[in-house]
Amino acid sequence: MRPMEGRPTDGELFSRAQRGNEDAYEEIVRRYQDIAYRIAYVITGSTADAEDAAQEGFVKAYRALGGFRAGAEPRPWLLRIVANEARNRARSSGRRHQLELRLAEGFRPGEAAPSPEAAAIAAEDRRVLLGLINQLGEEDRLVIASRYFLELSGEETAAALGIPVGTVKSRLSRSLARLRLRVEKEAHA
Amino acid sequence: MPEAAELEQRLADIAAAIDWPSTPPLAGRIRARIAARPARPWFQARWAVAAALALIVLAALLAYPPSRDAIASWINVHTTFNRQNVIPTPSPPPSGPLGERLGLGQPTTLAEAQSRLAWHIVVPASLGEPDEVYLQMPPAGPPQGEVTLVYSPRPGFKTSGQTGVAVLVTEAAGQPDAQFFGKIIGDGTTIEQVTVNGHPGYWISGRPHDFFFDDANGNVRDETLRLATNTLLIDDNGTVIRIEGDMTKSQALGIANSLS
Repeated sequence: MRPMEGRPTDGELFSRAQRGNEDAYEEIVRRYQDIAYRIAYVITGSTADAEDAAQEGFVKAYRALGGFRAGAEPRPWLLRIVANEARNRARSSGRRHQLELRLAEGFRPGEAAPSPEAAAIAAEDRRVLLGLINQLGEEDRLVIASRYFLELSGEETAAALGIPVGTVKSRLSRSLARLRLRVEKEAHA
Repeated sequence: MPEAAELEQRLADIAAAIDWPSTPPLAGRIRARIAARPARPWFQARWAVAAALALIVLAALLAYPPSRDAIASWINVHTTFNRQNVIPTPSPPPSGPLGERLGLGQPTTLAEAQSRLAWHIVVPASLGEPDEVYLQMPPAGPPQGEVTLVYSPRPGFKTSGQTGVAVLVTEAAGQPDAQFFGKIIGDGTTIEQVTVNGHPGYWISGRPHDFFFDDANGNVRDETLRLATNTLLIDDNGTVIRIEGDMTKSQALGIANSLS
């Protein structure tokens, strides 16, 4: 729940949606469609599958609102449903998509303006690192993307991965270790 | 190998630089889909159906005396489940076996009934051998069972209503519960304390319907008097005996004094 001034909290919206208020549910979807779609994209590696999974997940979540426990955190609950849908889709489609996360053109970090050469080197570093992440196995890239790129909490990461909260830390450290190996290899190539 | 902290910092730096594919306009489409098929009403929700079924099963178990008693025993509730045997009063024309009509239990013989009971059955010598004997064991009957001796009309004893029965002698382990006598009295019924062979007794005249006694487990038991006629209750030292019939007090006391 992330209350903001002048607008209802997630919990309030969920209560209204549970009473059949479709406007409230539409607002919930607007709040979470970006993060849900991105999680689905990281899982499926396909924009089309991610779109289907996110849409289906939100519809299923609406039908399952009766089972949502008042007082629970709505965001991980929703993200878990969408992530499950994405995993099912990735499995049943039989296609393996290679995730292709890209860097925005002309991205400049907000810090002190570096020299054009330094900026070019930094941009190349990021491109290489992202390329290595794209090549990781689904499990590794999902946990890394969830924590660092989507900035999910531990509970939300667990929801996205479909694992218990207690195992997120160990999963992340294993995945980072594998990434470090690849970075090391790349540096010596 | 890069330091873990350094790698994490580089990953965090990338977050803001990622060019995510743009999110399709999901909210409008989802709204259209949920409007086309609103959320399930409660009776389609699986948990609600399961809860309703559980309640129905529980209600059925509680309505059925054997399972109700078993549940009462499990949850250690001993005093709140009073049972009232629903039996016809003498007004409707009798049909079917007498024991069933009057809710007396299973037909048996004196010897067989005695073999199943821990306490001693007494028989009124003045009336002789009963014409029929019925035994009601738990759970339909009280703890330690209840025996009923049935006497058909004989000289000096009229039939009670349309039951075809002149006198019923019912015996069970327990004692009369005087605290509920107030419920027996009323509607032209009077109650009078008497003594039978040195034991306390109560002569209830009029048309009493209900009868309360403390059963062998100390629970109050509410039973219907079968004949709804004059009734003599005897507290026979651990056994409660009731003699029902369309008879006078001295006839009842005569029967009671001949019990052995």
